[in-house]
Amino acid sequence: MRTLIRTKATLFLVLAALTLGVLPVAHAGDDEPKEKAAEEESSEPEEPQDKWFAVVDGDVYTGTGAVLRGATVLCKNGVIEDIGYDLWMPEETETLDARGYRVYPGLVAINSSGLFGAGSDLPNTFNPFGQNLVLALGSGITTALTGNEVGKLKYGTLEGVQVKTNVFRYLSFSKSSPAGKRSLREKLAKAAKYRRAYAQYEIDKKKNKDLKEPSKKNVDSNLVSLLDGKWRPVFRANERTDLLEIAHLAQQYGFRPIIQGCREGWTVADELGRAGASAIITPRDRRPKSEQLVREGGSSIENAAILYRAGVSVAIIPGNVGISLGGIVGRDLMHLTVEAAFAVRGGLSDEAALAGLTIEPARLMGIDHRVGSLEVGKDADMIITDGDILHYKTFVQWTVIDGEIVYDKEAHLYFAHIRPRPDSSLAPEQRLDAGENPPEEAAAAEGGDEEESEEASEPKEGGGGQG
Amino acid sequence: MILTPLLLAPLALSATAPRVDLFAIRAPRVEVGNGETLHHAVILIEGGKIVTIGEDLPIERGIPVLELDEEQVVIPGLVDAYSRYGMSSRGYSDSRPYLLASAELPEKGNGFKQLREIGVTTLGIYPPGSGIPGQAVAVRTQGMSPEELILRDSCYLKIIAGANRSAKARISDGFKKADSWEEKEKKNREKWEKAKEKFDKEKDAEKKKKLDPGPYKPIEPDRNAEAFRQLRAGTLKALISISTAADYLHLLDAIGDEEFQWDLRVGLTRNTDVFHVIDRIGEAGKRVIMEPELTLHPGTRRQRNLPAEFARAGAKLVLVPRGDSTQAFKDWRRNVGEIVAAGLDFQTALSAMTLEGARLLGVDDQVGSLESGKAANLIILDGEPFEATTKVVAVILDGDLVYGEVDL
Amino acid sequence: MVMRLLLLLLAAPAFGGERLVLRVGKLLTMSDADTIYAPGMVVCEEGKLTYVGPPREVSADATLLDYPDSWCAPGLVDLHTHIHGPGINDMVRAVNPELRARPCVIPGNAAIRRGCAAGVTTLFGIPGSGTNMGGFGVLYKARMRQPTYETIVLRDPGGLKVAQDSNPQRRNATDFGVTRAGQSWNIRDVALRAKAAAAQGRRDPALDELSRVMTGDLPVLIHTAGSEGVVNTARMWKVDFQTRCVVSHGSFDGWKAAPALARMGCPVNHGPRTVDYFASHNGRINGTSAEFVRAGVPLFSLNTDSGVVPEEEFFLQGAMSARYGADSYAMLKAMTANPAKVFGIEHRVGSLEVGKDADVVVWTGDPLDPRVHTRLVLIEGDVEFDRDEDGRLF
Repeated sequence: MRTLIRTKATLFLVLAALTLGVLPVAHAGDDEPKEKAAEEESSEPEEPQDKWFAVVDGDVYTGTGAVLRGATVLCKNGVIEDIGYDLWMPEETETLDARGYRVYPGLVAINSSGLFGAGSDLPNTFNPFGQNLVLALGSGITTALTGNEVGKLKYGTLEGVQVKTNVFRYLSFSKSSPAGKRSLREKLAKAAKYRRAYAQYEIDKKKNKDLKEPSKKNVDSNLVSLLDGKWRPVFRANERTDLLEIAHLAQQYGFRPIIQGCREGWTVADELGRAGASAIITPRDRRPKSEQLVREGGSSIENAAILYRAGVSVAIIPGNVGISLGGIVGRDLMHLTVEAAFAVRGGLSDEAALAGLTIEPARLMGIDHRVGSLEVGKDADMIITDGDILHYKTFVQWTVIDGEIVYDKEAHLYFAHIRPRPDSSLAPEQRLDAGENPPEEAAAAEGGDEEESEEASEPKEGGGGQG
Repeated sequence: MILTPLLLAPLALSATAPRVDLFAIRAPRVEVGNGETLHHAVILIEGGKIVTIGEDLPIERGIPVLELDEEQVVIPGLVDAYSRYGMSSRGYSDSRPYLLASAELPEKGNGFKQLREIGVTTLGIYPPGSGIPGQAVAVRTQGMSPEELILRDSCYLKIIAGANRSAKARISDGFKKADSWEEKEKKNREKWEKAKEKFDKEKDAEKKKKLDPGPYKPIEPDRNAEAFRQLRAGTLKALISISTAADYLHLLDAIGDEEFQWDLRVGLTRNTDVFHVIDRIGEAGKRVIMEPELTLHPGTRRQRNLPAEFARAGAKLVLVPRGDSTQAFKDWRRNVGEIVAAGLDFQTALSAMTLEGARLLGVDDQVGSLESGKAANLIILDGEPFEATTKVVAVILDGDLVYGEVDL
Repeated sequence: MVMRLLLLLLAAPAFGGERLVLRVGKLLTMSDADTIYAPGMVVCEEGKLTYVGPPREVSADATLLDYPDSWCAPGLVDLHTHIHGPGINDMVRAVNPELRARPCVIPGNAAIRRGCAAGVTTLFGIPGSGTNMGGFGVLYKARMRQPTYETIVLRDPGGLKVAQDSNPQRRNATDFGVTRAGQSWNIRDVALRAKAAAAQGRRDPALDELSRVMTGDLPVLIHTAGSEGVVNTARMWKVDFQTRCVVSHGSFDGWKAAPALARMGCPVNHGPRTVDYFASHNGRINGTSAEFVRAGVPLFSLNTDSGVVPEEEFFLQGAMSARYGADSYAMLKAMTANPAKVFGIEHRVGSLEVGKDADVVVWTGDPLDPRVHTRLVLIEGDVEFDRDEDGRLF
């Protein structure tokens, strides 16, 4: 049986959500008794105690390679406490039964627009009830960059939204600005010279105490810290020549560039790999090379795969980083996984594509100690899906952030009608396919193993489909 | 005897109009405004105030009695605690907590004649503008000058909250200003006390004369800090306006640990999302001002009765007209009736138009319900209060018949 | 091995007797009986399919291509495309029944090539919706190996393009026909004149092709959106004129007219929008393809309106329709057999059956899955795209 064993707190949350979102609006207070009961319960005097939460019996895709079938993810105070089998759990643990479902780390969007409300300055502007926020949660996203700030898509609270500020530092090195290129080269040279001088000073100081520190005049301290390996610069670059020059510059000075765009990266993948570069790419980026151009160029569906094979770590982002409800679907953040699927189309493995939506963006943003994979000690951010996350029919059923359920497909009107869960509490009139959902499909969802998603698209042998 | 509406002869008001100082009303049904209903009620009015009210009370011989018909219902005079009726909406957009809406009251005028006729006997006028625009005033709807009109000044400090840095900072900055004023005042006091101590210790009369600090003089009050000091002291409360659910959370964040009394103003737009925080607001037992509006659940054509939902969740409801036009006031009772038809409790609705508004303004000791000691502000209706066809028969304000014609 | 065999094949494409045999893990015929062979085999001879069924003995002279792990399906048929070439609309007159898309066609251009690489083999290239009657489109094949107009054309004119409601209203405000009333007259006037000419056996060069539409000889594809636009259109072309018509787009709240279209028996060619939120009024993100299918609209088909949606993402229109509530197989049918039937070309394309064009696509799996790519595209038996040789175009 797939049941939510609810603690008092969740009962209240779920009831509230159902009342607000899905159930027909009650006049005359017909749901009053329930609400009252929940209220009374929640108003019991609370002692500060550990909050336990567990996702039980799901197939756990940790995002680090391991897949644990039918395992449990146990969380304490919003952090993953343990992953495995037959775990000891305190009695008060709130559990979510994920049998037949898959558990993945929450997706990390390495760019976004309009998910959090006004955008920047999250602590002061975040809208924890926004439509786009809910749609993004329903698409599996738990963490996203907005402006130059990383936030978590916390529903209904302002607590713990901001994860990091000043995430990326940009450098420009492009043939469109020769002066800028020269200037960066000069500054890097000065910074390198300063570092050498300083290293020498450190040695000499031991002998001569009166020795003066080398002058920092005209030295860019940012670049010194870059050469110290303290941060990774981001370049916006697409063209082969720019990419090559960035790769060479990086190798010369020993820093690891992050390249946004990287359209022609596949033509210089080895160079980028040698430079230890990472790429933030859009697999469906489409800019065919000019017919006159003899060399290889332009966009390629294989970009992600080729770069990955050359050792360039790849984070994936769609061309449209907002939520689009205009009707032409499959191109925005709501379909982040579709974008990753296109990387697979180009030859990337499913695992690498998923990493491109989870751990890789987390690493590039320097938040991989908290999010991006399911590991003990990391934030309990995860999604529970009804199938392979990269399959086009898969829907996120629940989203968990910091050990709390922040999204339930059935509690919101947006997707609840599409292939409701077998144990759905939705009224028949709220199902799109009422009476049409074949029991076979329901059974397949129950089984929920790897083959299921592919099989789902097959018609019954000799059957007439729906046409 | 016939009580003539005083309005018909405003010039003769104080001098010649026959004022009946002591009279009684015998009514088959009185809605008190505090949730109670009285049957076969008698209201004894003297000097503009309710002396006694109760069921089946005997009336002394000689006291004129207004006998009401079987279908007639008495309700308290209406209180609109949040209005800019007849006033300009132009204001500042920054923080001016010291501005008083009472300063805008006309020096001369007929009061609020049209509102009186509708049955509105108390009006809360808030300061215009955004940010922190100032303090509201409660007025009677009858009176020729500010002195006659004002029931209570500085009823609440109006604050407009929002999910942005500046709106949040306006609140915390206000309290910071209060802090720094207190700090300065404390130093000033300490300085004076030291001087005083020195003065007291000095024995030499000649020297003592030079050291005399005189009586303590506090530093100049800071007009920006004063309102926030009063909020903390509990002598002033705030009415904070929000329009989205997120606004509420950011408001709580901005308030932090600061403790003061505040009520909420929630503007109901067509697709408002404030329903997300109804439970939290209700749990906090907040008083909430809103219009009697049925809204739609976002993205749907599903109607929601948010006022009813707020009331059920435990919030104290104040319902105000949908706008500041006379027509909006005329529609007010009918609009509330629509919300009642859609599920809002009758008594909650009635007190939302009377007593709760008076409480918000802090004038509930004077008006808002039909209880002894309070002003004799009441409306005689010819039927059920929230029936669309029900009409106002008469309006009595401070014991005076201000609208209608009734036999006494 | 496949490579070598292919080279042989390419070296001698002209030999009519050459037989090409495809063996695949799973064969979706998309026939009326919805037959699936797993494994399956097709044999192509002289551009036609001569065998479709389970694998059997292959004669020695045949070229055998073996894809044991792959799926095979008919080439996709897209009835609403604008990538055939430049010059989408002649914007002077509101109705242009005399115009044809043929002179605009640039066979095998880059956009068509990417479409071919993604399994699209038949396209209806049509004028835009800038005017009420844009003219006649061409049904052509997505051949990419040195194609010429003659080698790609399937039927010319393939059908008429009409645009009713929405877009044509954006013309200059002083033009006649910026209102629905005006548009309706523009269309009705010329259509009835053409009908009369046909009835009287009168020749009028400007109206000749339109007469064929009015007599049911040629299909008409009508751009229309919104529920009232959809119903207006179907009433005029299906009920009044009794033409072989198909409503194209049907976007926004057009799905609300689905039951009405089903009653009138009017087919729908849906896209590029396949989801509606704003008009659903129940808070749902509504898969509109699912709504049309559920209402029982006949021969439901999908389109890209390319380049609105790139031609190579035609399959994704099906995938997204399936994501938002439709059945995957039904959506594949909406990109193969159904559009072929709507346009009366089902004897040539749309399904894998003996006697039909050998337009065959080999996929690495479920054609709707974005992770899956094509390995081989045959058009009339010729290898037009081979992944191993041409690389991953898309």
